[in-house]
Amino acid sequence: MSVVEKEKNNLDKEEKIVTALSKKLNKKVNIQRKKRLWVSIEPKEIVDACSIAYDMGFEHLSTISVTDWIEKNNFEIAYHLWSYKEKMLLTIKTRINRENPTISSVTSLWSKNAELCERECHEFYGVIFEGNVNLTPLMLEDWTGPPPFRKDFDWRKYVQQEYYDESNPREDIYFEVKK
Amino acid sequence: MVKKKTVMKYFVKAIWVFNWFNSCGFTELVPVVGSRWDMERFGMITVNSPRKADVLFIAGFQTPKSMKRAQKIYEQMPDPKFVLALGSCPITGGMYWDSYNTVKKLEDYLPVTMYIPGCPPRPEAVFDAVFKIVQHVHGMPDE
Repeated sequence: MSVVEKEKNNLDKEEKIVTALSKKLNKKVNIQRKKRLWVSIEPKEIVDACSIAYDMGFEHLSTISVTDWIEKNNFEIAYHLWSYKEKMLLTIKTRINRENPTISSVTSLWSKNAELCERECHEFYGVIFEGNVNLTPLMLEDWTGPPPFRKDFDWRKYVQQEYYDESNPREDIYFEVKK
Repeated sequence: MVKKKTVMKYFVKAIWVFNWFNSCGFTELVPVVGSRWDMERFGMITVNSPRKADVLFIAGFQTPKSMKRAQKIYEQMPDPKFVLALGSCPITGGMYWDSYNTVKKLEDYLPVTMYIPGCPPRPEAVFDAVFKIVQHVHGMPDE
């Protein structure tokens, strides 16, 4: 088989998966570039969408990532799923409200793997995954402040309050630094 | 009565080290162990249990989580024990001075015997600190 034919075959395969996924999810699946697909869904559909993708061969949950869109007042949660069979990455994106960041957990599908990813998202963004029984912090033991990766967390002010004393002449230099 | 100096002399003859390194701490201290500077010619050995150690080396930035473990290690070490903090991170936080989850002053958590500045400290500086401990013991009055 020539390289051109191979490429054509791959494209056909991609098209086939995209049409099948679009039909099952009832959403438009986009091709970002070669072997990279993404789809945007409603937050309440997340477990169903993930299980449909799982059945189609996207068995490996690479990671769950959260982006804080503070101007739009929402968190974008992205589930990166890898298919060993098709060698393709599917990103399922969903947006939840920043005021009430709650979403169903996917631990029913990926148990321990999803648990760890969700713990991290909970720790750094304060997203609550309903159904995940273990949301204890990974790195931030005894943390009392707000979730640190949120855009409205003023870390410099927090550090100045928490660690330094302005009246101490050896430490007042830390208060001269502007953001 | 056994003299304090006599006891201490035996302890500092061969300083056994337990390492508690975060981030780049270990890689920067490898030359001290390696053949060029070779700490073993002075009797310094890295031990696998804090219960055998005389000196606790702390390097790299420390977080409240790692500090808890370091305190547990320190409590397990037999007396007399010393804590040597290596590098700028344990001294002031180093380049992580404005990190929200890094310990800025190590002495708030552990009794530090000596700080060795540098990022990373030279192996000569580490040996100098160890010799200062030895000298201190030899200079003790005979009580």
